[in-house]
Amino acid sequence: MFATRALRQAAQHAERTPSIKFVGKRTIPSSVDHTPQPHPASPTHTLPASFTSASSSHNTFSSYRDHAQQFGPLRKTIKADGSGVGGASGSQLGPVAPPKGVYFDRNELPARFHRAPISLDEIEALESGGAAAFA
Amino acid sequence: MLSQRLIGRTTVRSAFKPSGLPTIAPSMSRWRRTYATEAEEKDLVIIGGGVAGYVAAIKAGQEGMKVTCIEKRGTLGGTCLNVGCIPSKSLLNNSHLYHQVLHDTKHRGIEVGDVKLNLEQLMKAKDLSVSGLTKGVEFLLKKNGVEYIKGTGTFKDEHTISVQLNDGGETSVVGKNILIATGSEATPFPGLEIDEKRVVTSTGAIALKEVPKKMLVIGGGIIGLEMASVWQRLGSDVTVVEYLDLIGGPGMDAEIAKASQKILKKQGISFKTNTKVLSGDTTGDQIKLEVEAAKGGKAETLEADVVLVAIGRRPYTGGLGLENVGVDVDERGRVVIDSEYRTKVPHIRCVGDVTFGPMLAHKAEEEAVAVVEYIKKGYGHVNYGCIPSVMYTFPEVAWVGQSEQELKKAGIKYRVGTFPFSANSRAKTNLDTDGMVKMLADPETDRLLGVHIIGPNAGEMIAEGTLALEYGASSEDIARTCHAHPTLAEAFKEAAMATHGKAIHF
Repeated sequence: MFATRALRQAAQHAERTPSIKFVGKRTIPSSVDHTPQPHPASPTHTLPASFTSASSSHNTFSSYRDHAQQFGPLRKTIKADGSGVGGASGSQLGPVAPPKGVYFDRNELPARFHRAPISLDEIEALESGGAAAFA
Repeated sequence: MLSQRLIGRTTVRSAFKPSGLPTIAPSMSRWRRTYATEAEEKDLVIIGGGVAGYVAAIKAGQEGMKVTCIEKRGTLGGTCLNVGCIPSKSLLNNSHLYHQVLHDTKHRGIEVGDVKLNLEQLMKAKDLSVSGLTKGVEFLLKKNGVEYIKGTGTFKDEHTISVQLNDGGETSVVGKNILIATGSEATPFPGLEIDEKRVVTSTGAIALKEVPKKMLVIGGGIIGLEMASVWQRLGSDVTVVEYLDLIGGPGMDAEIAKASQKILKKQGISFKTNTKVLSGDTTGDQIKLEVEAAKGGKAETLEADVVLVAIGRRPYTGGLGLENVGVDVDERGRVVIDSEYRTKVPHIRCVGDVTFGPMLAHKAEEEAVAVVEYIKKGYGHVNYGCIPSVMYTFPEVAWVGQSEQELKKAGIKYRVGTFPFSANSRAKTNLDTDGMVKMLADPETDRLLGVHIIGPNAGEMIAEGTLALEYGASSEDIARTCHAHPTLAEAFKEAAMATHGKAIHF
């Protein structure tokens, strides 16, 4: 009645175990290390130093601002979920100070931090020791 | 005070909104009258609509992301669909048919009358395949809610891409993530100006107006040999000049490369291996190439109507403005990325020909899916040790994994098993018996290390080898798997049997 089963059982010792093993349902690891690693096809198998340096190494103020911006017209949010103001702590944003050997230019700052332009009248007033202002 | 000011500005802004205008569909959003601050931020902005770019766009659309894809060619699909893999396959297939009807019918019992070549129609058939596929891709983008902008994208800052629209005008797109997928271009040969008419790259070689009497191909790699095959079949006298002693380019097994060269030579293609091109002269009716032996020797002048420059491809980043965001490129112009396809600026990622790895459409496709998975799920997968390569000459050459010379160089022990198509029943009935299947396996574990095929339909058969290699199969696993009879695939099984033990039919 169960001839096939009986035959299979009898021949079990002779059956070959496949080298390929079924490992079960695929799962995504709960924690993945996202630290930059060299690309497997990279010819040098190394990453430039710029990849591994801390996130605070912004070499322009605008690049720091792009990372630090939490709200506003540019809408460059760091958090994809848009958690808004206070979405990231100050320490997460990294220091505002430039890395060693890099200097921020005042002109890269928002316009309100720029030097106020000097008008011709003001120049004249300075040169005349203030007299031009009353002329 | 601050909140008062903010409220005030919002009120003023809303007061100027054109409330009376009809609502425009989201797909038309590019033409909507907007304010600068209202530019919608996309989840992913992709620069390049080639295989890497459009696949990433579709995948991201499927994952529910808001996606924009920027492409300057005017049609999607990049080099592969427009001027690469697809049109060349059309020409290879139809030129093979023409050649077969002309030379390979009598002994099969088919008497054919007058056979004429209609090159214009051959090219039209090619263009039809291309346009059908590119339109299909455009439909797929639409179906998956991807915004498609025809224009040239340039980095304005780390999140903003300004786009010079093909139809004139400029727009900009803001993205949380940006993907560089700008592909590659043919490497020019120093001293030879490409005009795509007489001195051509692969782009010009698939669109020649007439069959050249004499054709010279600089570079005996896959592209050079495929194009050499097309024009030789259509009646050209073709000579391939290769600097190395073997044709086929990197990765092709030396034994297979030698076999391929022998068969192609028999078909009528001339080869000058170990030969370097010194200079070219395009001033006369005929183009003259000065060549000499690679290791030095007597110089020789070769003449031709058309010269195909097929010495390789280089990453294409022109006009991208990478310097504006400080993204690194290496000495060969490839964008430097990490294992998750991130550039130095983590939300700017890069895949395809423009970065590391072989310049293959299917590799770009794998990366495109993986990069979207990294963005969306933080987890992706591409096995760089298991990417197949195919040369679509006749017979085809295909391989996956390591070659014998690579294993020797790395000091890895291996066992070889081969099976010729001359012993395969289906190849015999087809009267196409040139070629063989070669398998390399670990002598201790029997794990498959590489598969190399030269023979009819090798490009299809390599899929089985790729699957086996990806699963870490042993040659015994393949040998014990039932294959239908009579098929060419039986040669694959028999090669596995030869690797593991002994082939039955040889």
